[in-house]
Amino acid sequence: MTVARVELRDENDPQSVEIAVTGEIDLSNADQVRNELYEAIANDLMQVSVNLTGVSYLDSSGLRVLFMLAERLQRLQTELAIVAPPGTPARRIVELAGFDAVATLRP
Amino acid sequence: MPKSRAGSATDRLHRIEVVTDAALAHLEVERLLEELLGRIRELLAADTATVLLLDASGEHLVTRASVGMEEAVRQGARVRIGEGFAGRIATSRQPAVLHHVDETTVVNPILWHRGIRSLAGVPLIADGQFLGVLHVGAVTARRFSDAELEFLGVAGDRVAMATRNRMTGTGHAAALSLQRTLLPGALPEIAGLDMAARYAPGDAGGVSGDWYDVFKLPSGWFCATIGDVVGRGLDAATVMARLRTAIRSYALDSADPAEVLTKLDRHIRHFEPNMMATVGYAMWEPSLGRMHLSLAGHLTPVMAPDNAPAQLPDVPVDPPVGAGLVPRPRRTTVLDVEPGTAVLFYTDGLIERRHRPLDEGLALLRDVVRSGPPEPLCSDVMLRLVGADPTDDDIALLAIRREPDTTTPELTLTLEAVPESLAEVRAALRRWLPTVGATDDDLDDLLVVIGEAGANVVEHAYGPGGGRFEVRLTASDRRVEGTVRDQGNWRSARGTNRGRGTQLMQQLSDELRIEHDDGGTTVYLCRNLGNRP
Repeated sequence: MTVARVELRDENDPQSVEIAVTGEIDLSNADQVRNELYEAIANDLMQVSVNLTGVSYLDSSGLRVLFMLAERLQRLQTELAIVAPPGTPARRIVELAGFDAVATLRP
Repeated sequence: MPKSRAGSATDRLHRIEVVTDAALAHLEVERLLEELLGRIRELLAADTATVLLLDASGEHLVTRASVGMEEAVRQGARVRIGEGFAGRIATSRQPAVLHHVDETTVVNPILWHRGIRSLAGVPLIADGQFLGVLHVGAVTARRFSDAELEFLGVAGDRVAMATRNRMTGTGHAAALSLQRTLLPGALPEIAGLDMAARYAPGDAGGVSGDWYDVFKLPSGWFCATIGDVVGRGLDAATVMARLRTAIRSYALDSADPAEVLTKLDRHIRHFEPNMMATVGYAMWEPSLGRMHLSLAGHLTPVMAPDNAPAQLPDVPVDPPVGAGLVPRPRRTTVLDVEPGTAVLFYTDGLIERRHRPLDEGLALLRDVVRSGPPEPLCSDVMLRLVGADPTDDDIALLAIRREPDTTTPELTLTLEAVPESLAEVRAALRRWLPTVGATDDDLDDLLVVIGEAGANVVEHAYGPGGGRFEVRLTASDRRVEGTVRDQGNWRSARGTNRGRGTQLMQQLSDELRIEHDDGGTTVYLCRNLGNRP
């Protein structure tokens, strides 16, 4: 199975969290990545940033996870930012998919 | 006392020998025993004749064949060593006679239910090894004469010999068949690797616990094992079977060969005490460019780069797995595997000869190995190192070669339509695309185009029975074009947020067409290299 790791960073701030995802996301592990992201996000947060710098492959099943996350966080009135520097595979895919309409893209 | 019908003791023996001859060679041990017991019962004019054999634990005798008391076999009647009539013969290793059969003298109730009054029994011993007990019973009060007891003793020797031969034969056949079953029938197909293997049983008779194994992991890594369980025969082959499975299990959970062998070491110490094995375990990264190797007392594989002399890489060797040694940390060595390089794994039977020191055998092997297609490589190695020499030990040989850099600008993959195949497609693309001039950007984009096409097949093309799909790409004139094809029925995407895959495919390629017909769905794609759309 395709392997991705979801890790919490910056756990000291009670209002915000940064979650780093590394590895690859495809059909075979997208649901697992989604579950791990949801588990990492508490409902009292104001800001969530998901760092995709270390993601070497992302396809539409990964995009689906990100869009669903954006939709849910919008409902919780939690701000979502995606960290993906220009030139990374994830940056290209989220840009092409118009993800900047639902969340902030940061380098 | 009933008079036995046969004449002299010689005549009687002759009649036993008739039973043990080659005409019965094909019989299973139980059928052979029944034939023998029929003769013995007739010659002694007894009512029952029964053989009990020692079970695998060595603690019980189990009724294996009987004439006149067949129910004991069907019921699996057993008696503990030292108890009852047969159990006492097992302890004393002496003939015994019993004229008073009841629950105080006999453990097995079938005997007294059958109405047996008198019993005579002898131990079955072949080459000093105790195998079981033969006894005959009579429903009348009867005294067995000395001559009859002597005959029973001689008959017992024949029965023991026939049983031992048959059981050894059975064990040998079972071990061979087990080994054949466990060695991979067909080696897996890995895009970018060619492989071949040989297994040759030694002349010493019996099989040993040599094995090789190759398998893919869901993560896209490829693994190879070679090993040798110390010992011979069915026991060694059985332990080999378990170790092979254990390695596969641990491999699923670890990307570090040293960790897999450490777990295997714990496994064998706990579940197979007193057994020991040498093992070489290697994992190829999905790019196939590097091999991670750990050796547990096993000989170093030979590595032969394309067009260069073969070498024995400098890999530290840790202790074998299993009994006798204090567990120590194990080590993994990472070796670069250039395109065209062949790696040859083998067991010691390949190079060990009585008349030749091990180092000489190793040097000879290194001189013989040249990189090339694995099938002829294996044949050549066997020819040059074994030839017509008798070999005591078994030989397992496994050659794996990374294909030389492709000059034919084509890539064809045929895969199961399951999510796990998508990682394999990406691994193959990451190897192939750079060789035809794709930039990092081209690679990232084409991974998604072809990955999405593959994901569509996995999600939509087939029913629960599944199916396969084919990726076929060609590169020419700074362009990559090709197809992703299935033989399924098109079904439109379901669920929300599902339309993005097709959109991405179009955005990331210069041309894209999806065609459905009765034969399935074909995605045509084209991408100009070095010129991101």
